[in-house]
Amino acid sequence: MSYAIDPELQPWLAMLPVISLEDMSVIRAAMADPEARAQGFQLPVYEPASPVAVEEKLIPGPAGAPDVRVRVYTPSGHNGPLPGYLNIHGGGFVIGDLDQDESLATRIADQIGAVVVSVDYRLAPEHPYPAGLEDCYAALEWTTAKASELRIDPSRIGIGGISAGGGLSAALALLARDRGGPAICFQYLGVPELDDRLETPSMTKFVDTPMWNRPNAVYSWQYYLGGQPADQYAAPSRAEDLSGLPPAYVDVCEFDPLRDEGMIYAHRLIQAGVPTELHHFPGTFHGSGLVEAAAVSRRMSGEMIDAIRRGLKA
Amino acid sequence: MAYAIDPELLPWLEMLPSGDFTDPVEAREQFRRVVAGRAAYETSTPVSIEEKLIPGPDGAPDVRIRVYTPTGRPAPRPGYLSIHGGGFVIGDLDMDEAGSLAVADEIGAVVVSVDYRLAPEHPYPAGIEDCYAALAWTAANAADLGIDPDRLAIGGGSAGGGLSAGLALLARDRGGPAICFQYLGIPELDDRLDTPSMTQFVDTPMWNRPRAVISWDAYLGGRPADQYASPARAEDLSGLPPAYVSVCEFDPLRDEGLIYAHRLIQAGVPTEVHHYPGTFHGSGLVESATVSRRMAAEMLDALRRGLKA
Repeated sequence: MSYAIDPELQPWLAMLPVISLEDMSVIRAAMADPEARAQGFQLPVYEPASPVAVEEKLIPGPAGAPDVRVRVYTPSGHNGPLPGYLNIHGGGFVIGDLDQDESLATRIADQIGAVVVSVDYRLAPEHPYPAGLEDCYAALEWTTAKASELRIDPSRIGIGGISAGGGLSAALALLARDRGGPAICFQYLGVPELDDRLETPSMTKFVDTPMWNRPNAVYSWQYYLGGQPADQYAAPSRAEDLSGLPPAYVDVCEFDPLRDEGMIYAHRLIQAGVPTELHHFPGTFHGSGLVEAAAVSRRMSGEMIDAIRRGLKA
Repeated sequence: MAYAIDPELLPWLEMLPSGDFTDPVEAREQFRRVVAGRAAYETSTPVSIEEKLIPGPDGAPDVRIRVYTPTGRPAPRPGYLSIHGGGFVIGDLDMDEAGSLAVADEIGAVVVSVDYRLAPEHPYPAGIEDCYAALAWTAANAADLGIDPDRLAIGGGSAGGGLSAGLALLARDRGGPAICFQYLGIPELDDRLDTPSMTQFVDTPMWNRPRAVISWDAYLGGRPADQYASPARAEDLSGLPPAYVSVCEFDPLRDEGLIYAHRLIQAGVPTEVHHYPGTFHGSGLVESATVSRRMAAEMLDALRRGLKA
């Protein structure tokens, strides 16, 4: 099918990574091969205006599970307690790591003045649901418990991520609400992966859109669920009650199979009384923000930073 | 009911016009006083203003328009048909003057603002047919106006957004003038009044269910609504011009705006939609609030992109 993709994005289509989740052994081999990684699509490295201290730590994992690796980004030149932001990377629940989000985490720390904790959660299919989400929960609890050590104001801790990271963030907000867990002041849900049922018009129709499409979504959920039925913490679209969740910002791309689930979830948050900003950008596709040179990508990333800044009262 | 309105908007609630138009004549007067009391928009480039009478719909009176021409910009320029709001019942060219000047000044578009007939004196389809006449006239006189006919857009806020959506449908189905873009600001689209926001928001500032009931009663004048009166009723939204839709949280029109935008997207119409939390219908009148500045700036940017200006 042909899609009316923004003319500024079109020339980049051939250069973007071709993601197929069909054979995970191929993906794991590529992830382990430094040469293959170096030849992949390279984002410009974000250079902070002021130094950002980066420290990697192992923190206690969920009960009975291994420790969780986190990377903490602390901006310099700020006094007093800072807002905190738990960053959850994307990658369809099956790929991605801390390096993938290094520029994003540094940028949030630098431009917003927040302490960013980026979490290296366990990936499917080796570790199906709820492993990844529980790792994120452990990182949220640790961040809250260590708030004063981390120089974080515990009343201003936000969470967020892009794609599967957006879906995990939505789920984490539900989990924290229902467990009476740490207070979350804001959730950033970027092109979130929310619904395992794969029934919306966009998910049905977009079988060959760039970066993300129905075939990949099918694999992603199969690996993540590992044969278990989905509940609302695996697939937040299944949640019947969205009230009492933290304020949200949701962005949605046009030629993304996740488009309709993102629009519907945001509308349901709004109807549940959750202060929610929703922005749908035409001419875009899943991950088109990687093309940083395009005006629409700059609008999206600028608005993301502004939304997190407002959400964190920074 | 208490609403979590943006703290920067709260202090202004008392100063906003009541929006009550149980008595249309009194409501029109009240709005005129509010508009007259506002600071005039100061252009940074020369914009000429000319009022004209143009031919109305068949058998109907002429339609008054005001043409704003950014004389410092070379022709051909993009064109924008601006349709004011006011619940189909109030509003006039003066109310739309600041917004029209801003579009002409900042985007360099020739703006044609249309003084369409108001309900209840002139129920549907009088108002939208006046808008259609203005669109047809603008397209036919593009060369004289210095407008590039390939870059002619329409738009408005509130009832003006609803009329714009109706006009886009009408132009599509009549094979009328080409419209390159539709700006639908917090649009009034659905006479059925059965969405959750329309059901729940009975006392929100500026616009609420009781006012929506009066507005649609006046506009429809006892006739059943069709898709050109109430665009939310349209079953086929394909082939419509690219759109930008803004939506406010504590606005009974919230859900119909989100649903219509989502349906445009699903129909393959390139559509940007932005929902702003903490806002209410017409909260953009509080120009000093950060969220209002964001909304106003994005409206101009969306129009600039839509007009390829």
